[in-house]
Amino acid sequence: MKRLVIIAMVLFTMIPIGLMAQLDPVSLALRAYQNKDLPKAKELIEIAVGDDNFNGITKTWYFRGYIYKDLYKEAKGSGEEFELRSTAIESYSKTIELEPQGELVEDCLNILKYLSSTLYNDAAFALDSNNFETAQSLFDNYSEVIMMINPTMDLNQRTIEFKLYKASKYSYLFDNPRPEDNTEDIGNKVVKLYEGVLVLDPENISANYNLAIHYYNQGVNIIENMDYEQDFETLFEIQAQVMDLFGAALPYMLKAYKLNPLRKETLVGLSGIYFGLNNIEESEKYQAELKKLENQE
Amino acid sequence: MHGIAVKYFLLVISLILGLAFSSVGQTSMNTMNTRAKFKATYIVNFAKYTEWPAAYKQGDFIIGVVGDNDLALNLETAAKTKKINSQAMIVKRFKSPDEVTKCHLIYVSGKSVSEVDPYIKKAKEYNCLTVTEGRGLIDRTSAINFIVVGAAMKYEMNKSLFKQQDLIVSSTLENLATKVIN
Repeated sequence: MKRLVIIAMVLFTMIPIGLMAQLDPVSLALRAYQNKDLPKAKELIEIAVGDDNFNGITKTWYFRGYIYKDLYKEAKGSGEEFELRSTAIESYSKTIELEPQGELVEDCLNILKYLSSTLYNDAAFALDSNNFETAQSLFDNYSEVIMMINPTMDLNQRTIEFKLYKASKYSYLFDNPRPEDNTEDIGNKVVKLYEGVLVLDPENISANYNLAIHYYNQGVNIIENMDYEQDFETLFEIQAQVMDLFGAALPYMLKAYKLNPLRKETLVGLSGIYFGLNNIEESEKYQAELKKLENQE
Repeated sequence: MHGIAVKYFLLVISLILGLAFSSVGQTSMNTMNTRAKFKATYIVNFAKYTEWPAAYKQGDFIIGVVGDNDLALNLETAAKTKKINSQAMIVKRFKSPDEVTKCHLIYVSGKSVSEVDPYIKKAKEYNCLTVTEGRGLIDRTSAINFIVVGAAMKYEMNKSLFKQQDLIVSSTLENLATKVIN
């Protein structure tokens, strides 16, 4: 409600000033905006921004933000929305920069919050379509805006969510590569992303579990693709390579187990890894724990 | 400006924001029996590096399996495309010692002599290469026994049991064994 009052006040103050100034471009842009003529409003506000008489005025940037925000909303799905949103963000930021203690700051921050949330969601949608670079760029923009809104905000949780989701998408591609995909490169990206999460949060169960499974599945894939007539020399080499991967998986799965000993998937994982490492005793130990857990249900 | 609409939109967006990455996937674990494939590959190699008496060099190459369904499945898969010394591979599963019939090679699952011995005794009625996996089984029971060295699957060999079955073991197989009993 308070914001509504501020906007109304700004409107009332702007129009008479504009009329007195023989309808300056800011006032004309505002009028076009009120008439829902956004292209005209955009054209006029750009004239104002390019004019030294108006580009130092806070309200010029404030209205520019609104005009571009609405253009962004109208343009969704057209491909132009990204640039329009960027201009809206830039305009609201400039408003705050020109008058950091001004009455418009709160409203600008709220709109910036909204725009940052659209960046975040668009990053998720981009990942859903495997547009990894776009997703990263959108997420970076999101982080920048959030830091501008609240420089002390802890972005770790959002960064972790993004990295986990991105890793899961790469992981799917690793298991189901397209003809153009370089699986080794994708596999390295998966590892790097999970390791990145673990730097931020070493106790993250998903990252520990998924990284373990990634290493384990890589080993299993090698075995699956192995020829039954493989000569001994190659068989030994493959076995050593696979054992290295299973060995790499183990500490992460043990960590996931330590974090939650009652998680069934982790017990299955540990049993499988130890089985692969030919440690049947340990494999059976976790198998027994799993059965005990299932019997308690 | 549309203050109330924007406020409502902000609320909706903040709710969606919390859900954006909520479907973070859990990578599925490949559940294949990793040891069975290695074991099957070893067994195919054991067969390739062993020579049977002339009467066994014709017809199908029969592999018997006791107590390891995944190994039998792997060998059956191999049998679809592979041959042993130009003989077609046939896999037979035996559930009791009485079922054991003529085979070139038999793998008997079981950790102790008492578990595997009834099958091995029956198989030894033929020129059969006996393979097991259990501590101490190489001493008097089977010609080849799987063991674990470090984390890797290896094998040990009892040469006298090859001779007993009129089987000739190649030097390659002998050289790569972790332990050879003469």
